Amino acid sequence: MAAIIKETQSIKEAVTFINTIDLNKFSRLLSRILQKLHLKEERTFSEEEEQKLQIALSLDKQALSLVLETAAFILEQAVYHNVKPVSLQQQLESIHLSSEKAEAFCLVWKAAGPDVLEKVRQRIFAPRKLEHVGWELNLQMAQSRQAKLKDPHAVLELGVRNEDSERVENVFVEFSHQQLLDFYNKLEMVQAQLDSLT
Amino acid sequence: MSSSHAKVGASTDSSFLGGRIPSEIEIMAKHLKDLDQEMFRKILKAVVNAIEGKDCREAMKVIAANAAIPEERLTYVVAGMYRLLKEALRIPMSSLKQEVFKEDLRELRIPDEFITDFSSLVFGSRRTTLEAVATQLGPRLPSVEDLRWRVDVAISTSSLARALQPSILMQMKLSDGSAHRFEVSVSKFQELRYNVALILKEMNDLEKRSILKIQD
Repeated sequence: MAAIIKETQSIKEAVTFINTIDLNKFSRLLSRILQKLHLKEERTFSEEEEQKLQIALSLDKQALSLVLETAAFILEQAVYHNVKPVSLQQQLESIHLSSEKAEAFCLVWKAAGPDVLEKVRQRIFAPRKLEHVGWELNLQMAQSRQAKLKDPHAVLELGVRNEDSERVENVFVEFSHQQLLDFYNKLEMVQAQLDSLT
Repeated sequence: MSSSHAKVGASTDSSFLGGRIPSEIEIMAKHLKDLDQEMFRKILKAVVNAIEGKDCREAMKVIAANAAIPEERLTYVVAGMYRLLKEALRIPMSSLKQEVFKEDLRELRIPDEFITDFSSLVFGSRRTTLEAVATQLGPRLPSVEDLRWRVDVAISTSSLARALQPSILMQMKLSDGSAHRFEVSVSKFQELRYNVALILKEMNDLEKRSILKIQD
């Protein structure tokens, strides 16, 4: 398969640094980065943690930054191309990563890769996304215009999140029995379409 | 307010209107004497349209202009009719029988021809429309007027060269005029579908239970 990492100047630099890091520490670092890879907004490490890492890995601030970014980039590329672990190892060796470090990447990728891939795959970006479904079933006994009803009514609460805001907007929709049945039939049609895709 | 608990008694039954007859109905009853049936029917028609939520101002103006009856009498009749019909339509047909209704109106000394007219409205074919309107006009949360959807498959994204991930786009128009468009992931869709099926099952169970079989 085509090379997923091009050996640019900054990659070369990063590789030099990475090769100096203690193997165990590096493996743990990789696991942590991979874990958080699908969360695009969050920082993998807090300020504090980064300072501790600088000391633990004997790297200055810039070097550490470079190492973290490069490791993340390599993993992102692995996700994008869905590389096989063996292929990843080979490619990393070809950009002069030491074989033990290349193997570390390969092992971490083998273990957690499929999971991360699935999480990234599930991440749809849409301006508004349905996040939450709640409901309530009521039995309406009367209202000002009608006495002695025995009318089952459902209220659906659809929590829709706007991409750019923290809030979830709740949409409340009411259904009579018949209306809910009609709604369900529509959902079944969608399901039939989904089924035909597999 | 129903007459069920008072059915045991005889001549001292309270009417379907309750122990105390609303004053506008009593006053109307007095003013119905000597009212021409055609006029009565015109007024009745306007009142029923009003109950259905239609605008009947034009019709009322015409009646007021042409009528041989003074405006004051007209207002008493309209008010009484409106109240009478509202109260009668409020009670389900299973609780208020036509005969009882007619008898109660006779007690109010409403002329027989008019009783027939009232009765055919409350117990006739127009009843279903009137009940549907009552549900719609009553207090309620918005309901779905229109639901459109489409299934998309993301082939490739900036994070994944080969994603092949389906997602669903839904557009809901609600009865209050608002529209909502949002995406639903496949797993969220399954959750939605599951929950709706669950509610339907609960509704079915509820409708079978004995509480709903109690006849009142």
